[in-house]
Amino acid sequence: MLDFIGGSSRNCEGVNRRTVLRAGALTLGGMTLADLLACQSRGQAPISGRKSVILIWQAGGPSHIDMYDLKPSAPAEIRGEFKPISTAVPGLQIGEHLPRQAAEFDKMAVVRSAFHTNAGHGMGSQWMQTGYQATIEVNDNIYPSTGSVVARMKGPNAPGMPAYVNLPRKVSFANAAYLGASYNPFSPDNDPSQSGFQVRNLRLPGRVDASRLNRRQDLLKDLDGIRRDIDTKGDLVGLDTFYRDAMEMVTGARAQKAFNINAEAEALRDRYGRHDMGQSCLLARRLVEAGVTFITIQAGGGWDTHGNNFSELKKNLLPKFDQSVAALVRDLYDRGMHEQVLVMAMGEFGRTPKINSGAGRDHWPGAMSVLFSGGGLKMGQAVGSTNAAAEYPTTKPYTPGCVLSTMYTALGIDHKHVFYDQAQRPMPILSEGEPIRELVG
Amino acid sequence: MATSARTGQIVLLLVLAFAGASRAELRAPVQSIVLTDAFAGRQILVNGNGLDVTRQAVYSSSNPAVAIVDVRGYVQPTGNGKAVVGIKHAGQSLQIPVEVKGFGDGRPVDFRTEVQPLLSKLGCNAGGCHGKASGQNGFKLSLFGFDAAYDHAAIVKEARGRRVLANSPESSLFLQKATGQLPHGGGKKLKPEGFEYAVLKQWLAAGAPFSAPEVPTVTGLAMVVKDRVLSHGQSQQLAVVAKYTDGSERDVTRQSEFAGNLDVVAAVDAEGLVRAGANSGEAAIMARHMGHVAVFRALVPHAAPLKELPEFQPLGTIDKLVAAKWMKLGLRPSPVADDATFLRRLTVDLCGRLPTVDEARAFLADTSADKRAKAVDRLLECPDYPAYFAMKWGSILRNSNLAGADRAAYAFHNWIKDSLANNRPYDTFVRGIIAAAGEWPEAPAINWYWQNRDDQLHQTTADVAQVFLGIRLQCAKCHHHPYERWGQADYYGLAGFFSRLGRKNFGEPPPYFSSATVTTGEKDPLTGKAPEPKYPDGAVARFGAEDDPRHALVDWMVRPDNPFFAKALVNRLWGHFFGRGIVQEVDDLRDTNPPSNPELLDALAGDFVRSKYDVKALIRQLLVSRVYQLSSDPTEHNKTDQQNFARYYARRMPSEVFHDAVNQVCASRQEFTGMPRSARAVDLPHENFGSYFLDVFDRPKRVTVCECERSSSATLAQVLLLSNSDEMENKIAAGEGRVARMLKEKMAPAAMVDELFLAARGRLPVAAEKERALAHLAGAKKNEESKVVEDLLWALVNSREFLFNH
Repeated sequence: MLDFIGGSSRNCEGVNRRTVLRAGALTLGGMTLADLLACQSRGQAPISGRKSVILIWQAGGPSHIDMYDLKPSAPAEIRGEFKPISTAVPGLQIGEHLPRQAAEFDKMAVVRSAFHTNAGHGMGSQWMQTGYQATIEVNDNIYPSTGSVVARMKGPNAPGMPAYVNLPRKVSFANAAYLGASYNPFSPDNDPSQSGFQVRNLRLPGRVDASRLNRRQDLLKDLDGIRRDIDTKGDLVGLDTFYRDAMEMVTGARAQKAFNINAEAEALRDRYGRHDMGQSCLLARRLVEAGVTFITIQAGGGWDTHGNNFSELKKNLLPKFDQSVAALVRDLYDRGMHEQVLVMAMGEFGRTPKINSGAGRDHWPGAMSVLFSGGGLKMGQAVGSTNAAAEYPTTKPYTPGCVLSTMYTALGIDHKHVFYDQAQRPMPILSEGEPIRELVG
Repeated sequence: MATSARTGQIVLLLVLAFAGASRAELRAPVQSIVLTDAFAGRQILVNGNGLDVTRQAVYSSSNPAVAIVDVRGYVQPTGNGKAVVGIKHAGQSLQIPVEVKGFGDGRPVDFRTEVQPLLSKLGCNAGGCHGKASGQNGFKLSLFGFDAAYDHAAIVKEARGRRVLANSPESSLFLQKATGQLPHGGGKKLKPEGFEYAVLKQWLAAGAPFSAPEVPTVTGLAMVVKDRVLSHGQSQQLAVVAKYTDGSERDVTRQSEFAGNLDVVAAVDAEGLVRAGANSGEAAIMARHMGHVAVFRALVPHAAPLKELPEFQPLGTIDKLVAAKWMKLGLRPSPVADDATFLRRLTVDLCGRLPTVDEARAFLADTSADKRAKAVDRLLECPDYPAYFAMKWGSILRNSNLAGADRAAYAFHNWIKDSLANNRPYDTFVRGIIAAAGEWPEAPAINWYWQNRDDQLHQTTADVAQVFLGIRLQCAKCHHHPYERWGQADYYGLAGFFSRLGRKNFGEPPPYFSSATVTTGEKDPLTGKAPEPKYPDGAVARFGAEDDPRHALVDWMVRPDNPFFAKALVNRLWGHFFGRGIVQEVDDLRDTNPPSNPELLDALAGDFVRSKYDVKALIRQLLVSRVYQLSSDPTEHNKTDQQNFARYYARRMPSEVFHDAVNQVCASRQEFTGMPRSARAVDLPHENFGSYFLDVFDRPKRVTVCECERSSSATLAQVLLLSNSDEMENKIAAGEGRVARMLKEKMAPAAMVDELFLAARGRLPVAAEKERALAHLAGAKKNEESKVVEDLLWALVNSREFLFNH
């Protein structure tokens, strides 16, 4: 659903307040799919240049107390096995299994005092990825994910590229909800660390080569004379445009080149790590360079460490995560892209400070750490603090709305901008929360 | 005193007929004006030669010390006494005597009558500002001002009283913020030199009192002019009158908010001037004041009204009523579509599939005059109609396995399908859902309750209203409906019918039953008690412990005089078959969203009730109409029509239907885990069957009852899938597929072209198409004969003609 269908405001920003009344409205004169495409294909983002976001999503809930908010003075059943280490920022310590990030921490900032109140995976994920607390546990997000919102507000940073991508596959609760399918993420649906990596349906199918595709297109053009004015929503014209875009992506160089991770130097690929997480981060950098505006990366799986928390983190989760994020941050800074690209890492909640009988930690939304890098934000700091047991913020408590509005502010998007849902209710991008002052200045 | 004064104020003595003036003539519906207090005002409407000239006329006051009049014809008092307002236009003139007799009598500014409408007018209490649930910056008002006492307390008592300072009103935060003297996120809303500022200041100086109990409250709102035919660029000034509990009336034009539903047809400004836009059609303009609404309808004809439509022969009620509307609007319909187009359209709309090649051939060869009606009858009796509509109802009734219970979802799906196949009367069908009770194998419809997992029954309440009554009542759970009469009492009244619904502690889903006592912990916020059953817009109901209140609710719904029930289904089905509801959206029936053809909706609903809710008869009536059979090609005379069905509105196929259509044309199969091999996407009982294809084409997740959950928006991923995927190549070149079969049968190229066109488009190719297709087939390299046929199938499946039902 395009929420501005029927609206009279002909701009990329969409609706005005009174569109709420136009539940029964028509499209003619309003913004159609074709208008939307026209807006997008202008190519230049209207708001803040070519800014983009790479969100590293730690599905399952990363253990804040073992990563960024260690409590070495807490009793053993809380502090766990890991020790803090120093970082490039004097006086700022993080967990010992994040050594590469520690070395780059002058280019990063962590908010230790984020929190919310829902300990369910689905509801917590929705809250963190949409800014809205869902009222029921369902398998898809009810409110638009931040990536969809950004796609809707900014479009791609360059023509011929999708605005919103999930890597390596579609991430749960990352859909467009009432913004409509046009703003769902595009995904390669394949693992970039695999040797035969390619994007789903972007390369020519096995049985078709470029000349055959050309012959097919010629045939299609001659056999598709149906009038383009027989529908009332502009879908026919819109489809023509999408066909042109798709063929451009398939046969043109830009998207193919951006997704061609094999073009990267072996040494750099190694530095990111030869695993799905590392290569997704590297691919993400290529994609933002080519004009993708928002990328969500699924940071592997297994963050839901109810059992064997310490060995899982030490052996599997943290080495990959540490390597990939540190390499990405360093690479963006090396290339001078860090002011334009905001990197974030978070999950749906933190984990219980008290270690359970299976050496695991359970769900804990009362405190969580969120990592930021670049995007024009103030780096080299830890924001906020939690109590002695890392259970609750003691200073600077920040809600999901604060976390996400910081991101929107970095992108130059007004987080109070209003969309209309299927019931034509006015829904601001965020209903609560203001940007984290320590980061935005 | 208050009563007579108020009555005197409005004096709608004569509403003269505007239309039909044959000579130069200037008229106003009001002959004299009496203003009885300092806050009164009066919008004059002026009509010259049949047209509204309120904004063009020139106004003057004979005594500005008594009354002033602005360039828009709005009269305001300045002192007691008498004056005459002069109106001049195009050499004509009119005089309207004005008497002011309550000015300066000390009537204080009243919170409800003056202050609250101002907050609404300025947008302070709108959903984007202080009216939203969390308020704005610590200041929260009731949404659109439906709760006067709450708002008064918020302004006067909160923020440690700093918002209002009686001894220094100008320093009140309330005014400082609103005027932008202090930083205000909402911007500068008031000018210190303006009338509105003066009213608020006066109220603050008086100590910011709440309305006295004896001050009359609004009971209703009316437009002085209710509808007009306007041509492009023409305008009409609105005047709005409020009626009060004491019988008095008052002009509230300047204290009302205006909004239109279709600005491209007619837009309204803040002072109530409606201007016809560039598009033709109909628009509804709403005025809202203190929780009440009034509607003005602007009709902007496409061309001069028609006296006759010789090219269109009505076959029945639908055709007559739709044609009557066309004539009024100056629309001429497209011609009737050809046979091939009709059969494809009918089969997609009714059966959710394409016609088979054999069906298409047989229909084209049939020479009987009534073959279209016979096709409707045949397809209504084929198993694909109930299969497709079971899918449709399954989405609307949110039959899913979100909450588990796979088998129950399947059983409910089959229950719906059987009901449709056996043409169970609609009232019986609805009773089976709303009053479902027992264990799921016997009463699979309890899955409707179970999937909501809704112990407070909020989802149930909202769904019953929206699905079966076309009322979007969910707003009223928390606040008065912004565009309707529904309030929290109505919402909790409906919820009350479900407050004794019980469920056992075993089984998935568990058995549901009607309990003798209240089972929900939900409280009506207005009473603090469990919700008491009250019929929407009706009486409070009382039930004994033995009764199941849900049956009484259904009894009320299915009564022949129920104003919602029949219309809601008629409109939903009309929207399904005609691509747009008579009321659009199809489940949002309200005064402020009027039908494009009320006579048609009434007639169809009446027929449906008289048929004893015979759904197949209703569908048949829609499909045998000539209106349904019109071509989708716009003509010069209807290309601007988007509301009145002067042509068939082409549209994308739903995700599941399109998925199946691709397989049908390719003669390929897509199996779904746990389903029989023959199962198509339309046969799936719930949404949780993995399919990249269905997801990419936006299959509904069944999380809302709204048909708007289905999106027809195209995406890049859809296009890549259709045009450039191994998945499609595997269908096109399927081993047992159509292309393989045709080649195996060594079919002649011309026959292959015919079959592919019939399969994909339901029609034979025209000469040029056939020639082009044959040329492509002839271009095959040696041993690559299959490739060129596959190319042709690829081109047909990717053509817009295939993607659309037209």
